[in-house]
Amino acid sequence: MAITDIPILSMLRTRLEWAQDRQRVLAENVANSDTPKYRARDLAQPKFEDPTQITTAAVSTVSLTRTESGHIAGAGVSGSAFRIESKGNYEVRPTGNAVSLEDEMMKVAANQMDFQAATAVYTRSLNLLKIALGKR
Amino acid sequence: MDFLKTMSIAASGLRAQAGRMRIISENIANADSTPSGSGANPYRRKVATFTSEFNRALEARTVELGKVQTDTSDFRVKYEPGHPSADGKGNVKYPNVNPLVEMTDMRDAQRSYEANINVISATRRMIQRTIDILKA
Repeated sequence: MAITDIPILSMLRTRLEWAQDRQRVLAENVANSDTPKYRARDLAQPKFEDPTQITTAAVSTVSLTRTESGHIAGAGVSGSAFRIESKGNYEVRPTGNAVSLEDEMMKVAANQMDFQAATAVYTRSLNLLKIALGKR
Repeated sequence: MDFLKTMSIAASGLRAQAGRMRIISENIANADSTPSGSGANPYRRKVATFTSEFNRALEARTVELGKVQTDTSDFRVKYEPGHPSADGKGNVKYPNVNPLVEMTDMRDAQRSYEANINVISATRRMIQRTIDILKA
């Protein structure tokens, strides 16, 4: 059993990966805040109904199959293991752009806090293991 | 690493907004450029466009500065018979640049630029938190 197979650690890892992917999606939104016809997207929250089943491998990603070993691997339709959702915004500008910078800034800040919380708990969990080992 | 991709996406936004700033400054600098000769046309206002394109290396939609278009609206005409560029009736064509429009456009570019900077600094803090796990 690898150290990352411990349920709490793998759950936290999923959470961290989610925050990392979400940050990428939010960066796309902010970068495209002046692109015509661009709609803001976001990631759906990961679900933890059954904590023992949480592994990122369980969420499969769609990728292209290579017919020849010499071919370059193609990128999947979506690079994220999490579901991308585009919600209807309340504000669409005349150019067809529906990115609210204020909204995105709030999400970036919230995402950063989520990530900090998860890393803090991760550190604490590692400390628990250290206590069990009798190192402190 | 995914966080570095996030930073590259935000950097594409910075590049696009900086390009827009360049075009705005060109417009403001040429706001009073007179035509080179009698009957010739003066400087025509330029308009920056943004296009969203799928970057295969980043697996994300980055923003690029699209083709620079020209504003087709009419030139400002002033009656200045003594001017070297005046036509037969004593009218001089001035560029179709409205400094007020350029100023508001500039504020908009600045705001978008700051939003991208904000994403980069948030991402940097998240990377720092990940490194901090090692120090625990």
